Amino acid sequence: MNAAISMFPRARIPYGTWGSSFFPAWQTSALAEVNIGQFAGEAMSRILGLRKVRQRELEYLVIGSTIPWHWKFWTAPLVSVCAGVRIPGHHIEQACATGLQAVLAGAAQVESGHDVVGVVTFDRTSDSPVGVFPERRAYERTQHLGDVWDNFGFDPSTGGAMIATAGLAARKYGIDRLEVDDITLCRYEQYFSAKESGFLDRILVPLEVLNLQGRSMGVIDEDLGVRKIDAGALRAMRELETCVTAGSQTHASDGMACLLVSSPERAQELSPRPEIDISFIGKAEIRTSPSLMPEAPALAVKQLLERSEITLNDVAVIKNHNPFALNDAVFTKITGHDWRNMNNNGCSLVWGHPQGPTLTRSLIEGLEEAVDLGGGFVLLFGCAAGDVGIAALFKVTEGGRR
Amino acid sequence: MNTQMRSSTLETIGLGSVLDMLRRGTLPVSTGDLVDRVFGPEGHRGALVISGANGIVGAGKTMQLGARVEPFGVPVVALDFPGSPDGLAGKYPGLVRAFGADRAAAIAGNVIRLAYDGQSLPSLLKDLGPRFLLEAVPENLEIKRAHYEVFREAFPEIEIRSVTSGFPQSELGVGVAHPAFPHEINKVFEIVEPEPSPVTQLLWSLGLLPMTVSDHWSFVLDVLFCGLTLAATRFHEASNMPYWKIDKFVRRMLGPNPFRAHDAIGAAGANFLTWSCLHHLEPHYGPVFAPSEALEERKDSGADWYPMNHFRPMVNWPADDEELATWVLGPLFQMTSLLVSERRSHFAQLNAIGELCAQFSSGVLALARAHGADRAISTVEAYHRVHPEAAEKAWFPDVFAAIETPEWQQLYVNAEHDGVVGVITVSRESYNSDVDAELNRAIDWLRAADIERVVLTGDFHLSTQMVGADITDFFPAMEDEAAGVAVAHAWSRTARRLESEFSVSVGLISGKRCLGGMLEMMMHCHFLLATNESTLGMPEVGLPVVPGMEGCHWPFRRVTPDQRSRLLRFLLEGRAIAAEDGAGWLVDGVGSLDEMLGLAWAVASGGDHGLTRRPLETGPVEDVLDAMPKLSDPAGSGMEAGRRAIVETIRAATSATLDDALEIQARHSGGFMPSAACRRGVIGSAYTKTMLV
Repeated sequence: MNAAISMFPRARIPYGTWGSSFFPAWQTSALAEVNIGQFAGEAMSRILGLRKVRQRELEYLVIGSTIPWHWKFWTAPLVSVCAGVRIPGHHIEQACATGLQAVLAGAAQVESGHDVVGVVTFDRTSDSPVGVFPERRAYERTQHLGDVWDNFGFDPSTGGAMIATAGLAARKYGIDRLEVDDITLCRYEQYFSAKESGFLDRILVPLEVLNLQGRSMGVIDEDLGVRKIDAGALRAMRELETCVTAGSQTHASDGMACLLVSSPERAQELSPRPEIDISFIGKAEIRTSPSLMPEAPALAVKQLLERSEITLNDVAVIKNHNPFALNDAVFTKITGHDWRNMNNNGCSLVWGHPQGPTLTRSLIEGLEEAVDLGGGFVLLFGCAAGDVGIAALFKVTEGGRR
Repeated sequence: MNTQMRSSTLETIGLGSVLDMLRRGTLPVSTGDLVDRVFGPEGHRGALVISGANGIVGAGKTMQLGARVEPFGVPVVALDFPGSPDGLAGKYPGLVRAFGADRAAAIAGNVIRLAYDGQSLPSLLKDLGPRFLLEAVPENLEIKRAHYEVFREAFPEIEIRSVTSGFPQSELGVGVAHPAFPHEINKVFEIVEPEPSPVTQLLWSLGLLPMTVSDHWSFVLDVLFCGLTLAATRFHEASNMPYWKIDKFVRRMLGPNPFRAHDAIGAAGANFLTWSCLHHLEPHYGPVFAPSEALEERKDSGADWYPMNHFRPMVNWPADDEELATWVLGPLFQMTSLLVSERRSHFAQLNAIGELCAQFSSGVLALARAHGADRAISTVEAYHRVHPEAAEKAWFPDVFAAIETPEWQQLYVNAEHDGVVGVITVSRESYNSDVDAELNRAIDWLRAADIERVVLTGDFHLSTQMVGADITDFFPAMEDEAAGVAVAHAWSRTARRLESEFSVSVGLISGKRCLGGMLEMMMHCHFLLATNESTLGMPEVGLPVVPGMEGCHWPFRRVTPDQRSRLLRFLLEGRAIAAEDGAGWLVDGVGSLDEMLGLAWAVASGGDHGLTRRPLETGPVEDVLDAMPKLSDPAGSGMEAGRRAIVETIRAATSATLDDALEIQARHSGGFMPSAACRRGVIGSAYTKTMLV
């Protein structure tokens, strides 16, 4: 594989047909109380309407989510009905890699013959369901599992908590707490700068949520829970693990994001800027040693770059899912790339972690940034539960702000 | 010889004009005579047969017509397949609610239910001597034709009408009487026949609303309703906006909610009928009627348009009013141009069909008129820019050039005179700004002809009652007090013209009720007459709202002090009364319809009538509230607030001179509308539900 060859030569992402909800922190908005699958379907229809894409253009739907939702058994066909179309589809799930895996699955679907595939990813971390599992071999006979927090707190393959992987990686790479706080500050500045410039308004769509009687439960028009932060406050925070404080790790949130994957011809028809071509170059996935999750994405990036025969200097936009700020410090240690030169318009460290849609929103932000720059490679990567790292490379041609 | 502002709709069914009725002192036809002509003489009555009687249309019409012909001893035969689901039994509770248990039992007891196999008629039918068949079998031309053949073979003299919504008479070979949903209640029938027939006149005489329409594919109602549904689906396809939300915006803009209506009627059948109507229109009129993909799908699936309860909508959609107008009003105005161009019906009927059968708050002609010719045309042109194929056929912009003619301008109010006596007829059941403007034009027209004596009444056709003000006209006043004051002021000025610009004015209440604003208007006539079957009321206090057309002082100026107590109770309790209970203080004459027709004519034409004109006090009326009776407890805090506001209005307006009182009453009426009590009440709730979406 090299960067001149696309992993999905027939697949394109039509520029400007995408969108995302804001990601309110868990328990802060009306999204905490709704069937998020229904919300995602209806929101996708609204976003496509705003982008002047008729929902009837969709032929297939890939959904991505990680937290069980009401009637999830019916997966994509049900979400498509909520979006106003009856089309086939399937569900993708791989923890925080879901948002990227779903896009790649959409591309694979285009390769297999569909011309326009919708990708919608979503999750509601608030009030996540509790599963009850009969376990005859357990002392308790029956075990219960809160889907979000019980899983964050316990990796059954290592016995450790998610946060413990951050501490271990920090110690392995000799990460300095001061540097982690600096990364955190930088990421917040990048987010608020993007917000104030209006960059996020091109991606995030305010959505009003209705109750059963049709009355408003509120408008989701902010990444609620995200506040400006200063160095003093960060410095004063207690460490929960080595180099991890409440400020330098992400938070749970709720939301959805969507985009289209299509054939090149349909992309030109659907996009408001048909001269822009967005293609898939390649992806890599690795699994690192137990409890070293934060290094996994950087290792996946190295593998992807080697296969693609390009360097980070050739990449226009770098975006990652960084649940811990120290992920970025580890990335710099492994690749030598300055962490200041990535995540220019925000990242999941700041705007939260609804799992399913996280990397989808990151991708959309990255593609928009690349278009602003006049094109180039977009590198997207992140970690996922199980000490997994995923990375993917996209190519944007043309562009420039209008 | 009569001179008319525009022709009367009654003439289209061969029944002359209201002026003729007044002059004769009787209705143009008698129900008994028409029953004899259609079903044979008493003792030898033949049957009314309704085929497809278990269907939605058949069952509704069996109940509606059965209730009306039963007193004349006409047997009703309900015919359907033996295995068809029982649609009639479901209608019985409604019959009991409308008529009471005994009468409902008598009506149902007159219905003979027979089954047939679709090929040959049951032998029992012959003994019942069928005289009139109302066919309500499935919407399939071949099936319908074969059905008529079976009947004609067995009963060569039988009169047949089809309830079809789309097949022309020329294709069916029989006349059409197309009814509107809900079938047990809605009185409208679109009639296609070469000449007005006794059957049609009988429908009118039985209190129904037959309206003649031309013999084209799909009649007026279906062109409008199916066309609106189609337009709404096209907007959906262009914008992704879900059907439920489009429904809300269409209702706010026009009145109907087409998708809810399909679900309410039963999507499986209604989707097919809508598709079928459009499918038959498209070959004749082009792509403006081509069924959309959404309709094609739902024709096959019969799926509801609204999401199921467990998927009640979650994400709200704002409106883009301009885009909505382009996609929905554009085709609607284009279809209106077609209906007008083909002169599908009397313009007042073209307009009324939308209001009476499809929930349009303003009929399509009134809507186009309000937009004006240029804007209506530019709206269609904007639609053609987003749907260019629609411009290929069926677009007649030239029809809007006639928008200033009386045919277009007098959709709700007509006037005629014989050189001495004028008659103004109102064909809309509720008073709105359109009626107000048309009433003013009618008065101007009569005055220009030096007519000084006038009768004001209903049109004896499209309007069977006068229910008061159209509350949708008050919606702007919910937010803007000045808008409410302006409405009350303007309408009161119009009503005063009935008193001040004629030497004799007679209000004749001929329908089953006259309420609220309509009663206030009629009270301004020098003489008010009512048939003894009418009820009269001022229900405003219960809504609550303060009467806006001088109801709080005008009647007090025309009664003696000992009658004030009745008026106060009438206004402050809001209960309707029988017309005869208002004799002497509210109305000047009560009697049978024929008696009142004769009396109205006698008064208006200067003949002997024996009535004394009650004087109108133009100065302050002192101490009106001293006559306050003991009132029943108000039904809730809204009524209590309404009562307080009306008492205050009575006090202020009666204490003033007649000249000043109009302004005072208007200020009180408009001032109450934005109040919390009014906003929580009937008008406020309707406003919230309709406008704040």
